[in-house]
Amino acid sequence: MKFLGKIWSRLYIAIAIVFFVAPLLSMARFAFQRIPMISLGKDNLFKRWTIDGLLTTLRDPEFLHSLSVSLKVAFFTVLVILFLMVPTTLWVHLSAPRWRGVVETVTILPYVVPPIALVVGVSGTYRSIAPWFLASNYSLVPFYAILAMPFTFRSLDVGIKALDLRTLVDAAKSLGASSGRVMWNILLPNLRTSLINAAFLTFTVVLGEFTIASLLLKRTLPMYMAQAQGSEPQGALGLGLLILVLTTILFTLVSIIRKKDSTSINVKNINVGMVP
Amino acid sequence: MGQSDPKGGSHTRTPLQRFQLTVKFKPIGLIPFFGFVGLFLVWPAISLFRLAIQPTKDSDISAMREAITGDYLDSFIYTIKLSVLTALLGVLLGSLLAASVLRIERPKWFRNFMTSFAGVAANLGGIPLAFAFIAALGTQGLITKMIDYFGVNLSDAGFRISNFAGITIVYLYFQIPLMFLIMVPAFNGLRASWSEAAASLGAAPWQYWRYVGLPLLTPALLGGFLLLFSNAFSAYATAYALSSGGARLVPVQIRFFLQGNTITGKDNLGYALAAWMIIIMLITMTGYLFVRRRAEKWQQ
Repeated sequence: MKFLGKIWSRLYIAIAIVFFVAPLLSMARFAFQRIPMISLGKDNLFKRWTIDGLLTTLRDPEFLHSLSVSLKVAFFTVLVILFLMVPTTLWVHLSAPRWRGVVETVTILPYVVPPIALVVGVSGTYRSIAPWFLASNYSLVPFYAILAMPFTFRSLDVGIKALDLRTLVDAAKSLGASSGRVMWNILLPNLRTSLINAAFLTFTVVLGEFTIASLLLKRTLPMYMAQAQGSEPQGALGLGLLILVLTTILFTLVSIIRKKDSTSINVKNINVGMVP
Repeated sequence: MGQSDPKGGSHTRTPLQRFQLTVKFKPIGLIPFFGFVGLFLVWPAISLFRLAIQPTKDSDISAMREAITGDYLDSFIYTIKLSVLTALLGVLLGSLLAASVLRIERPKWFRNFMTSFAGVAANLGGIPLAFAFIAALGTQGLITKMIDYFGVNLSDAGFRISNFAGITIVYLYFQIPLMFLIMVPAFNGLRASWSEAAASLGAAPWQYWRYVGLPLLTPALLGGFLLLFSNAFSAYATAYALSSGGARLVPVQIRFFLQGNTITGKDNLGYALAAWMIIIMLITMTGYLFVRRRAEKWQQ
């Protein structure tokens, strides 16, 4: 893009990198250095670094409990959204192409109803007619599946468009494969990039979701972090940083997988994970 | 061959005939999908409106009206201002970042690295992001201290990480990368031959950008703005954690009513605030879809 001079663009990138890295470095210092800000100076900048705060938090039974809740909810959310969206998207492409626009528009609805509004509506409806449902931690699963719907549909839609779906299905069936076999041996392997992409994104979104969990009073990982900020701030920030690092690794893995298979994301199909 | 075809259950038809048979019942396979969305998204959203327009016990005007008066109107204006500002800044700074990164051709890995990083940062949000900025720009933050060392006291200057300026800076952390991700493919869509054609016809660089480049980028810029606006407008967790629940943003205000123990008899106000949020988001996303449809037509 030639409207920027080379020097200016480099300078601008340098400033941007500082903006994006400085908060993370500050977080690391707070989490891992046992010196209060007031007495921090040039002479003790590299002293008393420790990961004890994080270790204490990682051993906290409350933390382990919240982690297990979050992992279970994330696992079931991935299952639910894939079981719902894979057949739906395949059906749209195979049997009801005219409905594609309707389905796509519906998958964008979660952007129209922000999580905070969704959870208010949920408590206004389910609390009176099915209190047992909201009492369970797993009541988060369907609502998290709703949050994951836009990018899951997009990811599968892009993957399916890259295949010659009709030919694949007809060829397999004319060779005598059952519908289940077509699904398991032909379609799912061909869609693995889309499936992995959607599953990882869903997983990270669920692990970071705070709004719905906090208003339904579920003790998930982000809820634990928000509470630990008061009692064990160093551990809480260390944990936050750890989660950022793990998320980054997950995202990098996804982008490597995505690059190996060449269903690249273009502007129409940009994979926007809306921030909860 | 013993097929068990759930769509029609036929043994002798060709795949094409079987397909034609299924056409008659084509929406059948979509029932689980529509049922799920209806149960867990549409029904709660519609109930919200029903509850919001119900008459309140001790008030003559409906909660829907009350939610856009006085303090509540102020928080809507505050939230919209914040969302517009962070979206505008995000569009500007994110596009500049995309242009700058595309300007750098060597080393090759740099562009990929920036794209991957933007993917992470655009999805960042919630509690960890708030923690990072409290550690950096909070009253006891590292950057606050460094700036203080150079003689500028942020606190005395009226800056708080939980006030308008503070939340704006924090939101830019995910808004800029999101715009970056939108603009990289948009810039790449501009073919080099177009600027060369313009140049060979005697157009100055600014004329190329004014009459060719910018009009072609308009859908991406406009769509990006709407997406960034809705992104900021619906964000809750970051603002909540930055302000310990005290921010004047509408999403944070709704929490008071949902917990139901602060102001009695005003539960409906929580529903009404949420209903107004949905209305605003509906307008924004309709605009976004409109822009995107136009852009898709363009590309064909």
